[in-house]
Amino acid sequence: MKRLEILNFKSPNRAPLIVEGFLFGEESKGPSVAIVGAMSGDHINQLYVASRFVDFLRQKEEEGKITGKILVIPAVNTYALNMGQPFWPLDKTDINMMFPGYAQGETTQRIAAKLFESLQGYDFGIILEGRRDQGMCLPYVKLIKSGYEDLEAAKDLGMRFIHYREYSPIETVMLQYNWQLWGSKALSLVFGKNGAIEHRSSEEVHGALVRFMAKREILDVSVFEGFSSNVIGPDHITLLKASHAGIFDSLVSCGDTIEKGAILGRITDALSGKKLEKIIAPSGGVLTCQYSHPLIFQNSIAFRIASVN
Amino acid sequence: MGVIEEVFSIDLPVGEQFRIQRCRYIPKKGETLKRISIVSGIHGDELEGQYVCFLLGEWLRANPDKIKATIDIYPAINSLGLDSITRSVPFYEVDLNRVFPGSKNDFLPAQIADGVVSAMKGSEIAIDIHSSNIFLREIPQVRIAKSQEKTLVPLANKLNIDFVWVHDAVTVLESTFAHAMNTLGTKTLVVEMGVGMRLGKTYGHQLLDGLLNLMACEGFLSIEPLDVRYPIQSHVGEVAYLNASCPGLFVPSIEHCQMIEKGSVVGQIVDPLSGQVLDEVIAPIGGILFTLRAYPIVYEGSLVGRIFGENE
Repeated sequence: MKRLEILNFKSPNRAPLIVEGFLFGEESKGPSVAIVGAMSGDHINQLYVASRFVDFLRQKEEEGKITGKILVIPAVNTYALNMGQPFWPLDKTDINMMFPGYAQGETTQRIAAKLFESLQGYDFGIILEGRRDQGMCLPYVKLIKSGYEDLEAAKDLGMRFIHYREYSPIETVMLQYNWQLWGSKALSLVFGKNGAIEHRSSEEVHGALVRFMAKREILDVSVFEGFSSNVIGPDHITLLKASHAGIFDSLVSCGDTIEKGAILGRITDALSGKKLEKIIAPSGGVLTCQYSHPLIFQNSIAFRIASVN
Repeated sequence: MGVIEEVFSIDLPVGEQFRIQRCRYIPKKGETLKRISIVSGIHGDELEGQYVCFLLGEWLRANPDKIKATIDIYPAINSLGLDSITRSVPFYEVDLNRVFPGSKNDFLPAQIADGVVSAMKGSEIAIDIHSSNIFLREIPQVRIAKSQEKTLVPLANKLNIDFVWVHDAVTVLESTFAHAMNTLGTKTLVVEMGVGMRLGKTYGHQLLDGLLNLMACEGFLSIEPLDVRYPIQSHVGEVAYLNASCPGLFVPSIEHCQMIEKGSVVGQIVDPLSGQVLDEVIAPIGGILFTLRAYPIVYEGSLVGRIFGENE
């Protein structure tokens, strides 16, 4: 294992921002993969999975099981992580909105540029992503259609769902899109709840990473087969919104199989305690995401159900 | 007298509503379908537009007989942000001007964006007033995507601003209010002026004159057009960006909005700990310093100024 300094960025008053990478199999002729962990300060689960994976790879290296080249960057925005803030602490910009970066540009554009430079030349790119809303979800693969994506490679993760869809304008400045355009088969694993560690999701993502590397001959290990992934698009997802605002109680967990008519959650008035609403499944399927904050806004999406019809 | 209307409302979890309000002025008789929307507060830390809305409302209240078409004033789109010194949508920490056109089936910021678009759809013109952020001070200017140049520059020239900046189309800007509205056929101008979290009365009055002139020229007010300044046009020159070469405290050497010669010192970056001057920021071209950093802490790369220089 080689510990790399990806970037060292001085601050006016605090200690420098040092982004580190852990490189395994540097001399390997096998396939290569880079993994990027927490780009936001609330992506604790992503940090946890990435750092555990570094430790796992260190053990596999001692056993001589690494047959490809692997770079893991567990955390990018360590300043934000150390302050409990989601974004770059000075100007609140999101590093994952600055790609491909610009070496002569603003601070977070420079950070993104330096990071992006270190990610070039890898066959595969895996981004460990948190959610961009107040939700939690069943771990899934997010794969956007840039024209350079690799759906077959995504299936090797053995995750239950691959959300395969067109990209939105805002995603053109995010890492996955740009990484694909620059020649790496990049995808995102979205999981967990921001600001927390979920052990079950973490295990699932860890297992998917190991499986992917075994199938792509980056790691010489035996693995159980995962899921034959369901490739779904926005049309497969039913959104259930909260008609009322108030205190939100979920009665289900992500990954549960839901039957039509099941009561998924309740909303009560935050002041009077009056029962305002039961959220009922209009169709059956698998609960993929749910709102994760105890206070819910009117019209917020409370649940997402994936179904085959 | 304008009529205050609520155009969008969502219940918040504990005994409150998030709402967007407008004040609508209509002519005593005549055309009401023809409509202009004046918008501010998409970013909660930008307050210049609120003052312009006040000034315009004050003028319209005093001159109701001059109103020829519908004039809608939306001073506070991100009302939660405005009342809490928060640029983004609180709770979600999302920049509202990156989620347009929004959706009814998405998280709260996208629903707000959808509500904004629904309310303003059908307007002939929209003026979206921003104040830069807390870091930079800007002269009154309108920014226009290259693809909209033909339609929007003639309109911007009526706004009594100092600079019209036509920039290349950037895909991410397709998520802005202006792009969404222009796509729907509403000619939408983005005004930037002043600095975040502060109010500059002079710029407010300058833009008020511009709005009155534009509305006179475009048939919203029955007044004579005003004698307004003609803005500098970006296509006659180039914009130079001045980024900090190192972290420290930026201390400007000159005032904002000054003519500056190539090679002159815009400011110093100093180290309060050691007492050293770390770098001097030198003007790479001559011209007008139309952007100057207002917040002094800088990292490497922080924007400290922009100069527009005319081609020789």
